[in-house]
Amino acid sequence: MTGVLVTRFLFVGSILTPSFPRKRESMLAISGCDESGERAGSRWIPAFAGMTISGLPAWPVDWPGTIIDAARYPYSMRCSEFKDLHCSFVDDTLAGVELVRMQRHIAECADCARLDACVRRSLMLVRNLPPIEPSADFAFRLDARLRECRLSQASVAGGRFRTVAAIGAIASLIMLGYVAETMRVADQRHALPEIVLPPAVAIATPPDTTPVPSIVASVSAGMPIWPAALLVEQGGLQTVSYTQPR
Amino acid sequence: MAIAARKTLPALAHVELVGSTVRERLRTAEDSEVVSAFLSGEERAFSELVERYQTRLLNFIYRTIGDREKAEDLVQEVFIRVYRHLHRFDRSKKFSTWVYTIASNLAKNELRNRSRNPLVLFQTITKNWQDEERPLQFEDPGNRPDDLFRKRDIREKVEEAVGQLPEHHRNVFVLRELEGKSYEEIAEITHTNLGTVKSRLNRARNSFAEIIGPWLG
Repeated sequence: MTGVLVTRFLFVGSILTPSFPRKRESMLAISGCDESGERAGSRWIPAFAGMTISGLPAWPVDWPGTIIDAARYPYSMRCSEFKDLHCSFVDDTLAGVELVRMQRHIAECADCARLDACVRRSLMLVRNLPPIEPSADFAFRLDARLRECRLSQASVAGGRFRTVAAIGAIASLIMLGYVAETMRVADQRHALPEIVLPPAVAIATPPDTTPVPSIVASVSAGMPIWPAALLVEQGGLQTVSYTQPR
Repeated sequence: MAIAARKTLPALAHVELVGSTVRERLRTAEDSEVVSAFLSGEERAFSELVERYQTRLLNFIYRTIGDREKAEDLVQEVFIRVYRHLHRFDRSKKFSTWVYTIASNLAKNELRNRSRNPLVLFQTITKNWQDEERPLQFEDPGNRPDDLFRKRDIREKVEEAVGQLPEHHRNVFVLRELEGKSYEEIAEITHTNLGTVKSRLNRARNSFAEIIGPWLG
């Protein structure tokens, strides 16, 4: 709490009073920079760790309350920030402003300059390692393995086809059986009930050969009698019999 | 698929072309075109892919696992897998990334298997290399013997230093420094995000510089 208050006091004080008591040597020593800049006209601004102000360049900050000469080091940075960005710096993928800041930091910080040089030199060694070539029989062995692969693929494909064909045949047989069974059952369901007829019994009745008077009477027109007699015989005697009313 | 391939590389689909012409065309074609040609039935296209990638993959796997013989076996395995599964390859992506992903996975598996069997370690292998087995011909025969010795010594140290990096750092390091892959490609190959790649690479570089630093003088 006290630290925060002191820090705020320093911050407000530095803005309001340009002649705020400065211990430049100690502050620059704290921030890892050397004392070599001219003092006249420089503006003293305290910076806070983690504080960023959009639109303003970052100042080197080590802990709250550190006073940095912003006019002299407008693009400088902390060592930790340098290390974070170092990967992109080596790959040369940093934006212009960042690149300048990194270069400035290298010029200011001997430790980071040493680290940068060491990394670059070691990477040069790795990158210049000559490539190893495949052995003489590499292609031969690969060809053999590829041939095996082709054969196995072909046999797998053939086996797959045979399996599919067998499964298809079995499935069609099952289907046929099912269809046949279904048809048989359907036939049974829709068939008409069998009608059992009683046995035919022949009744033998002797034909009545006595001439019927009514028939005889109708013959008076001159027609022969025998066809009529035959018809009567076929149709049964009852239908043509006539009983004389009493 | 075959029609698309013919559209991409029309001449390759015609059988009547002379073999040398096809090979020349394949040599100058992009990876994606060679892949299309292979998928449309041109077997020679696969040889072209092997020709293009065998050395690169061998170096990548060798630097990752540190065993040359095993590295060659793994490179062959990569090509077998490519041959079997090329029809599944998503051609909207880069072929090289796909191939390196397969290689990276195989190398990772190999290292995992080794960690279960502590008798085989990278350092053990590199230390036990016999002179005649050494894969690198680092030396120029015109150099003086003491120069040759120094170069060989440095090369050994460099390889040892690479081998001392943690596995996931080494993988990223080799892909970036030896294979020249972009951060995005490395992220895809190693199945990590861009931030992780950068952080691992940064650490790997610093560790490597720390290890090799005393030898740089």
